[in-house]
Amino acid sequence: MRNTLRTNSTGTWRWWGAIGIFGIALAPALPLFWQAFASRDGWLAGRGFPSALFNSFQVALAVAALSLLIGLPLGVATALYEFPGRGSLLAVVTMPILVPSFLWAIGWSALTAHLGPDVTAALSGHTGCVVVLLAAAIPLVLWVCHAATRNISGSQIEAARLAGGERTVLKYAIAHVAFSGVLVASLAGVLTLADPGPGLILGLRTAASEILTSFAARYDFNLAGRQCVYLTLAVLMLAIPMAIVAAPRLTAELLPRQVRSGQRSWHASVSWVLALGLFAVGLAFVILPWLGLSLPLTQSGHWSRALQEVRRTWLDTVIYAVGAGSIATILGFLLGFFAGKNHRLQVVSLGVALALFAIPPSQASLGVIYLSTNSPAWTDDLLRSRLTVCFALSIRFFPIAVVLGMRAWNSMSPSWAQAAYLHGVSPVRYGRMVVIPFLAPHAAIAGLLIALLATAEIGTVLLLQPPGHGSFPLAIFTVMANAPEGLVASLCFLYLVLATILLTGVFSLARRRLA
Amino acid sequence: MIPKACVVLVLAGLLAGCSRSGSSAVAPAEVVVYASVDDVFSRPIVEKFEKDTGIKAKLVVDTEETKSTGLVNRLIAEKNRPQADVFWCGDPVRAALLKSKGVTAPYKSPQLEGMPLDFTDKEHHWIGFSARARIIIYNTNLVAKGEEPASVLDLLDARFKGKACMANPLFGTTSMHATALFAKLGDEKATNFFDGFSANGGKMLSSNGEVRRRVVNGEYAVGLTDTDDYNEAREEKKPVGAVYADAKGMGTVIVPNAVMMINGGPNPELGKKFIDYLLNPETEKALAESGAAQMPVRPGVPVPAHVTPLDKLTPMPLDYPQLAERLLKLADGYLDEWARKNAK
Repeated sequence: MRNTLRTNSTGTWRWWGAIGIFGIALAPALPLFWQAFASRDGWLAGRGFPSALFNSFQVALAVAALSLLIGLPLGVATALYEFPGRGSLLAVVTMPILVPSFLWAIGWSALTAHLGPDVTAALSGHTGCVVVLLAAAIPLVLWVCHAATRNISGSQIEAARLAGGERTVLKYAIAHVAFSGVLVASLAGVLTLADPGPGLILGLRTAASEILTSFAARYDFNLAGRQCVYLTLAVLMLAIPMAIVAAPRLTAELLPRQVRSGQRSWHASVSWVLALGLFAVGLAFVILPWLGLSLPLTQSGHWSRALQEVRRTWLDTVIYAVGAGSIATILGFLLGFFAGKNHRLQVVSLGVALALFAIPPSQASLGVIYLSTNSPAWTDDLLRSRLTVCFALSIRFFPIAVVLGMRAWNSMSPSWAQAAYLHGVSPVRYGRMVVIPFLAPHAAIAGLLIALLATAEIGTVLLLQPPGHGSFPLAIFTVMANAPEGLVASLCFLYLVLATILLTGVFSLARRRLA
Repeated sequence: MIPKACVVLVLAGLLAGCSRSGSSAVAPAEVVVYASVDDVFSRPIVEKFEKDTGIKAKLVVDTEETKSTGLVNRLIAEKNRPQADVFWCGDPVRAALLKSKGVTAPYKSPQLEGMPLDFTDKEHHWIGFSARARIIIYNTNLVAKGEEPASVLDLLDARFKGKACMANPLFGTTSMHATALFAKLGDEKATNFFDGFSANGGKMLSSNGEVRRRVVNGEYAVGLTDTDDYNEAREEKKPVGAVYADAKGMGTVIVPNAVMMINGGPNPELGKKFIDYLLNPETEKALAESGAAQMPVRPGVPVPAHVTPLDKLTPMPLDYPQLAERLLKLADGYLDEWARKNAK
């Protein structure tokens, strides 16, 4: 790049760059896709797949709608107001992002088993799956809406307050962040499509559970591959129109903004209602299933064995999370750079990113295994190491980094590059002094969010972990079936406590930085 | 701005991920063991192996119970250049399946001497040892003494209407049990059993563990599960009893562990040492004394009072390789359809 103006220019190099990034993200899944359609079975997807796909989309739609309905007002209000128990309540509500969904499903299942068959029936099938999957979707929407609300300048909030009081402030803020809320709620909905756990545990045939059945009961990689492709295509058909609507808004965020955020205020009734609302969400989606998981502790705990598992797995868990967050952020922000202000490329990138989100992680993981198996031994450090796990986890969650990356790049004013050019600043210096410092906070948020989500992902780690390098959630997953209930409960309890400590630490650090 | 220290930490983390210790390049004195036997039971044995032999063992655990894409798929995918030396499988049907796909290698362990060969592959691609059995667990508060079911067919009785449960027959040992019923009873009688089970209000649950939980809680009076699940409830002093399913009729389905060499594994000699270790009487004794309460296959191994010696049971005669073939067909046919209908 000869001068800084090239960062604003259009050209085919942007398309090639984006294709390259998507190529990297898709590469692991391609061998199985290819085999699936080259096989003699043709294009069949299995008898029950269409109805399972329908079930999946019903659940995804319900999760997206309800997470938006609950997460958006809470996200806006937490950004605007102080309230009692702020740190603890936010930590509790956020915890499900860190916890694999199967744990919540088991928690609910254990709890309803104690409450009787009527409750069990009420919380099975569609309803049960929606309740379990909402737990992680709500905090995703909440935090994105929170961040979007913090982008509203202090003077805008003050003006709205003067014009019509708190009601106007809330209405204005909700309207401002609605677009981001809808986008992330859709992402959360798509994310549920690839998760087989709740469906299997709570008795609903979903597309992901069909794919899992093809893998784990029929050992038919080709059928599973075709089902993955159909699921991805179905998402793509929905994602492209959504991306067409979304892309202009990303461009619109180019408008210069005042950077001073509004101070959070204390408003007696709003603050208490907000605290109660967060408590209700925490109770319904976190505390109750946690109670279900912890019930066996009333009879026996296996603390020393549980602590031994923590000691054995903590380092690998951290490496996988940090590695996945870093690689996904690099890929996502690179794609954001290539997409630039090119409207068509933005639409395609968003649509493909959403569709990629729907590919079950097992598909990409098995593809990586095929790749490594058919590569020479000297590639093992790349294809059979912890770095491989980080990479596979990162491509699972990189669509999140794509959305955040595109938004971050679009927030940069093109006049900065022009000014740098006029002053003869070299591209390297411009990147070091302007671009990186500007993008760093956005990248940190993306990296942290993906690291948290990657911690809870077990399918990828299960298939790709180098021998002896499992993660802590995987340790729970592999003992939960037949281990003493007290041990499973101890492990779950420790995991949730560690998650709470981690989140509380992150919040207090963030608050200190803001202060 | 992000502190430089954070960036350095992130890079250090990634470099650690690249390190040799994190890669699959296994040092010569290490054996890699994949196990689809519960971690709580397999890890202590592997740790003891390390202590007794001085050979380092790396364990990758999964369990069929959890219905993951799992280790069997990983082994199939890794076939051309495997990472594992040994696969310790929770049941012989998956072992037979892996043999049919060319994943395993024959090994005639010297420890086979004195072991009955009923649960071992004729070409020594896999060797059966310590076994579980399929049982009917019942809640003692809901099933009066003398009223216990003795056969799976008893679950169709009116007295158990809406009170019986079993795990999803597409997965785990329940899939093996279901396939064994098709092999033993024939297609018509077996489908009648499954259809009758549904018609009698029988419930399909997600796993054997779930069957145990729901019977313990009294939501269901009886359920089909494995001996290790029952033993778990027994140790926790729950109000449950168990009968060996069809002990007096067509025979009980016995589910031995199966251990096998992986064809082309990186350290075959160490793999053989691990298999020999696993097959020794001490290991079978340890597994009998563990929470798994597994029955030694080798005669004469002392067992605790709550473990029934295998020679006191009437095993259902089964051809495991044929069962593996049949399971794949059923998983794509009747059982899939049945599970779909009974999913909710």
